Amino acid sequence: MLEQLLIFTRGGLILWTCKELGKALKGSPIDTLIRSCLLEERSGEVSFNYEAYTLKWTFHNDLGLVFVAVYQRILHLLYVDDLLSMVKESFSEIYDPKRMSYGDFDETFRQLRMEAEARGEELRKVKVVSSVKKQGQVSKSGLDGGIKSGGGGSKKDDGDGDKDKVGSLMTNGNHKDDDKTDLANGKENTADNVVLDPSKLMKLRSKGVRGRGGVRKTDSIGNKSSKVSAAEPPKKATKKNRVWDDAAPKQVKLDFTDSVGENGNGNHDHVDIAAADQGESMMDKEEVFSSDDESEDDDDDEPRSDEKKPEAKKKGWFSSVFQSITGKANLERTDLEPALKALKERLMTKNVAEEIAEKLCESVEASLEGKKLASFTRISSTVQGAMEDALIRILTPRRSIDIMRDVHAAKEQRRPYVVVFVGVNGVGKSTNLAKVAYWLQQHKVSVMMAACDTFRSGAVEQLRTHARRLQIPIFEKGYEKDPAVVAKEAIQEATRNGSDVVLVDTAGRMQDNEPLMRALSKLINLNKPDLVLFVGEALVGNDAVDQLSKFNQKLSDLSNSGTTRLIDGILLTKFDTIDDKVGAALSMVYISGAPVMFVGCGQSYTDLKKLNVKAIVKTLLK
Amino acid sequence: MENLEGLKLMAEQWSNQGIEYLQKIPPFQLYAAIGLLLLTTVLLLSFRLVRRTKSNTVLLSGLSGSGKTVLFYQLRDGSSHQGSVTSMEPNEGTFVFHSEHAKKGKIKHVHLVDVPGHSRLRPKLEEFLPQAAAIVFVVDALEFLPNCRAASEYLYDILTNANVVKKKIPVLLCCNKTDKLTAHTKEFIKKQMEKEIEKLRASRSAVSTADIANDYTIGIQGEVFSFSHCCNRVTVAEASGLIGETVQVQDFIREYI
Repeated sequence: MLEQLLIFTRGGLILWTCKELGKALKGSPIDTLIRSCLLEERSGEVSFNYEAYTLKWTFHNDLGLVFVAVYQRILHLLYVDDLLSMVKESFSEIYDPKRMSYGDFDETFRQLRMEAEARGEELRKVKVVSSVKKQGQVSKSGLDGGIKSGGGGSKKDDGDGDKDKVGSLMTNGNHKDDDKTDLANGKENTADNVVLDPSKLMKLRSKGVRGRGGVRKTDSIGNKSSKVSAAEPPKKATKKNRVWDDAAPKQVKLDFTDSVGENGNGNHDHVDIAAADQGESMMDKEEVFSSDDESEDDDDDEPRSDEKKPEAKKKGWFSSVFQSITGKANLERTDLEPALKALKERLMTKNVAEEIAEKLCESVEASLEGKKLASFTRISSTVQGAMEDALIRILTPRRSIDIMRDVHAAKEQRRPYVVVFVGVNGVGKSTNLAKVAYWLQQHKVSVMMAACDTFRSGAVEQLRTHARRLQIPIFEKGYEKDPAVVAKEAIQEATRNGSDVVLVDTAGRMQDNEPLMRALSKLINLNKPDLVLFVGEALVGNDAVDQLSKFNQKLSDLSNSGTTRLIDGILLTKFDTIDDKVGAALSMVYISGAPVMFVGCGQSYTDLKKLNVKAIVKTLLK
Repeated sequence: MENLEGLKLMAEQWSNQGIEYLQKIPPFQLYAAIGLLLLTTVLLLSFRLVRRTKSNTVLLSGLSGSGKTVLFYQLRDGSSHQGSVTSMEPNEGTFVFHSEHAKKGKIKHVHLVDVPGHSRLRPKLEEFLPQAAAIVFVVDALEFLPNCRAASEYLYDILTNANVVKKKIPVLLCCNKTDKLTAHTKEFIKKQMEKEIEKLRASRSAVSTADIANDYTIGIQGEVFSFSHCCNRVTVAEASGLIGETVQVQDFIREYI
């Protein structure tokens, strides 16, 4: 049964709750809904799961009201969307901004509820016939996706989602989703459920021992064993087969790394000490704002989009001009569609992943539908404004990204602040690790590097060179050692030395590579770092979504303690190689919820910046 | 082309007619009209200037969940109605306090703005800061210690904001939810905030001024930070939004409005 139905303003005041269903809700589902869904620009979603409850919502954008229905997750109530829209209509008739209590609405609500329940009953009888057909489709798509996510949880949700969608015929905003799920291939469906569901992200964070046990089983079932066997022999084979002229002395020299000592400073004094000081890191420099036009010039965009659809656009433009002068029109979905479509295209040309752009547009649509147009504004400028607000909101970090403060806090507790750099191959982990070390050093923080990339040839030497140039200690154990153990020993060494920060470099790994992800998860579980920094390059396109979500997934599945560590921050690299195609930042932040802490914009030590949210939003919407 | 020429001709005719008409008016009337226009513009401008210095905006800020929305409605209506949830948008209102309804005489209205505390909506505060005459920073006295760091960072950002420093906007550190038994006292909260801000001062000044977006630093070099070092007045008070204990907040606001 329905647990609770609330009506509240966007400013936060509760206007009405159903007194009949007076049960108190466990926890704070409404607050969690607002914080992790509505404020995260996921208002286009269908529902939100919180512990034992499912929440559905709808907006009345004109009056600034939000209607939320809470019910038990295990029940599949078909009439909720229906009920919400009816409640919305009848409440907006009696709403008065001056009035704070709406006791008389109880009676209306009771009637509406009975109506909706009756209709739901009828629908269920009709649905029984069609559900048999749908079940076949659902189970097939569940297996096709092949993504392991906490046992049968996602498959069940898959089924629920589909049933809900079939049942609720008269809902606003579900038509699109219906079409999508009908046409979608299995991968997209499960990808949607696994990846972009904020409740899933929360579940990932709070997963405990149970998750691990469930996944172990599916591990063996899955077809990853073939990948494992394929990965191992090539590694060993290529290592043995590589016969270069200086291979032998290099291998011999490797043995020497242990005896030279843990500090790379040794006796090798032909060091470029002068290069260590290259001036101020760009982190400390002020952003130079380009003196381009600050105001968004919509007139320039009109002729561009006119080329695509001349006729429809002309009519739309003229009528929107007329409407903008009178300013009385209520924004309808059909009005918003062309503007949103154009906006989505523009975002995608700026290298934002397609799914993310879609979700964002849905969210903006949900927040604008039914709103009254202010006079003398065009629809496109309203949409642009709303999208700009949404983008700023997403890119603004949710928690403080003041690393210096965290370092000082750790210093007080007399333990080093541990940062682990993870990412796929070739994104620039080692380079940017050196840049971060340089920046920290400039601010009088003692840094130590840990070379836990024991796989790639030359990785340890690379770090050693950086350490020598920056004159900071490095902890290394050579190659073919267990990175988790190396990291642990490095941290112990740092505690002994009194280093403030330990920067741990790991080997690059593809998000699909099971054994490597397991190794990474072991490293993180064993050492419990303060900051898990995901290094991603700005050139990546749609793959960013996949990378981040799979990394998060694997980290949570394979964690063995109560506290799951997910990705805490993002380091965006190779920012200088993209001119204005800055969309990767948006995709990564949206998918993981982690803030962008640094931006690497070059290959020397000073090329490390902070993310300038306003500049990025301006570039995205230009 | 013909249309354009035709239009040009018509425009010329009209302007000629206008000039002739103007020349027909006796010069005295003309000067009087122009003089009146100038006078009214000057008066309007001066009124606007004078009014600008006396803003009546008070901001209610603080972390999410500290009780700002409840406090807002208490001040306005005398009751918190049916409770509140996390705000997504600011609540604004211009009114006289509910407890002052009974008072006679002309009481100035207060423009109270409740800014959402959620970190993603932080930029909204900057929109309202330029027009603020006073700021009430609400702190949850019940769940103080877990949120101490976040609260002190927020307060530090406010105290170092350019608008606040230049206009010396007074700040009230309001400890909310004091009706509960385990709520901390305002002295304890004040000391804790001072300690945290001292730590922030040390770590933020270690970084160059262009890095963190703090416009100014506060406090005196070499001395432990205390609220008395701020150039604007910072006071502490207690309140309880649920039971309607808002006297100290009202007194503070009335001092400045």
